[in-house]
Amino acid sequence: MSDDAADVQRVLSGDVDAYAKLVDRYYDRCARFAIRMLGNRDDAEDALQSTFLRAYRALGRYQERDRFSAWLYRILVNQCRSIAARRSHRERVFVREEALLLNAPDKRPAWTGEDEEFVQRVLNELDPLLREAFLLKYVEELSYEEMAALTGAGVSALKMRVKRACDKLRERWERIRDD
Amino acid sequence: MTEHDPYVDWIAREAKRPVAVDPMAIERVMARVRLEAPPTVRSTRWRWLVEPRSLPLSPLVGTALAAGLVGIGAFVGHLSIDRGGQNLIGGSAAPAVNQPPLALSSDTNVIKFVLVAPHASNVAVVGDFNDWDSKATPMTRTKTGGTWSVAIRLPAGRHVYAFVVNGANGSTQWVADPTAPLAPEDGLGAPNSVVLVGGSAS
Repeated sequence: MSDDAADVQRVLSGDVDAYAKLVDRYYDRCARFAIRMLGNRDDAEDALQSTFLRAYRALGRYQERDRFSAWLYRILVNQCRSIAARRSHRERVFVREEALLLNAPDKRPAWTGEDEEFVQRVLNELDPLLREAFLLKYVEELSYEEMAALTGAGVSALKMRVKRACDKLRERWERIRDD
Repeated sequence: MTEHDPYVDWIAREAKRPVAVDPMAIERVMARVRLEAPPTVRSTRWRWLVEPRSLPLSPLVGTALAAGLVGIGAFVGHLSIDRGGQNLIGGSAAPAVNQPPLALSSDTNVIKFVLVAPHASNVAVVGDFNDWDSKATPMTRTKTGGTWSVAIRLPAGRHVYAFVVNGANGSTQWVADPTAPLAPEDGLGAPNSVVLVGGSAS
């Protein structure tokens, strides 16, 4: 039995502290997806809180044959979608784009907060479905089959979304490089 | 990594870096969790009740049922577009008819979802009421006309939902209810539908 499955069993036996282990194990990874997907930390924390709360409530329906991480991610993806749908306005992130672009990608910069801000800005410009597919594929490194199980979309549609996301990113870079 | 495009690779690599997390965030999750009732395992008997199963119907009853369902709704359109605008069903695209969810009883808040998808291999309703889990609420196929339905108990209020239609070729299609009001555009490429329990959808 995996660590996850053992912890789930302990929670279902009444040991709520075992759930803290599951949260601790997955929080950072989920936080990365939520922040990259939603573009700001407040919305991301809302998504994370509701994800782990809903997962706890639904733990009795978790089937051990599924990977816990995949099951949790399915809830997270849907929570991010729900929050994006509820959000009446998007925070606009203003960055000194041209100055930052000078550093990317040929002159590989040391990691700074500016780079993170810039990357988030670029991701925010993608259509949410494209951003979701890009993040699941290249940041979370899921297979297309895993992505299909999470999103409900077909593999071919997901491949198309990832390709379109890459094309958009590439076009953006070429446009600015040529200016 | 990403079709060997340096710029896209760079974006992916930067996006992959760990994010700074508020060290108290997990505590906040657990404080909220501790207020919840302990989760329970669904009993075998309950699982038996909710498992999808075929219900043998006589031709007469089946015909009457199909006539009743079709009589309620109107033909709306073809299912050919998925949530991302991709054609998933391809050559076997299934024309579908759906009736608006019907409140069987405003007291019990039982809502019946119906979709006609003759070429589907299975159909489920997903929504905010089941965490958009396509395994949580499978719909049952009637013997006539490729009609799928499920009746579920919902709390009063506004619910956003969609149908997940799996085609015989293994494709999956998320479909808004073509005859119900649409939820406001969520920026995710495809609208969902809305049902108001205890009132009319808007």
